[in-house]
Amino acid sequence: MAQLRQDFAEFVKRKTSILVVGPESEAAFSKYWEENSLPFMGLPDPDHKVLKAYGQQINLFKFGRMPAQVLVDLDGKARFIHYGHDMTDIPKNAEMLSLIDSLRSG
Amino acid sequence: MAQVALNVPAPDFSLVDLTGKTIRLSDFNGKTNVLLVFNRGFM
Repeated sequence: MAQLRQDFAEFVKRKTSILVVGPESEAAFSKYWEENSLPFMGLPDPDHKVLKAYGQQINLFKFGRMPAQVLVDLDGKARFIHYGHDMTDIPKNAEMLSLIDSLRSG
Repeated sequence: MAQVALNVPAPDFSLVDLTGKTIRLSDFNGKTNVLLVFNRGFM
């Protein structure tokens, strides 16, 4: 999250909205957003309806969910999907930003 | 478990954001790209 916040302006410059979906309650989201002054949209999904629709993998051993990122283009099509294997397995911002640049030029 | 396919429309959804506004993925079509981040948790 901190990583994304740091480069938020770069995403905005590339006309890219950031939506963060998570299984926590609205209250937990609000608290976290407030404490960390996050500039992007937070979407609580306590019923896991979107998490399930997007097939985020559930790691039964850890009883948790692994991180995932999906880049959706202007036509609403998924252009990049990353399913993390563990909590540290998150694409770097630089990688995402150059990918967005390639969408625009392509 | 179902996963999302590349280069086809991403599943649309609507969720309520922290300001009480309903956000629909398709609202962004033609306006901005969207980076969807599925967060495991804040702990």
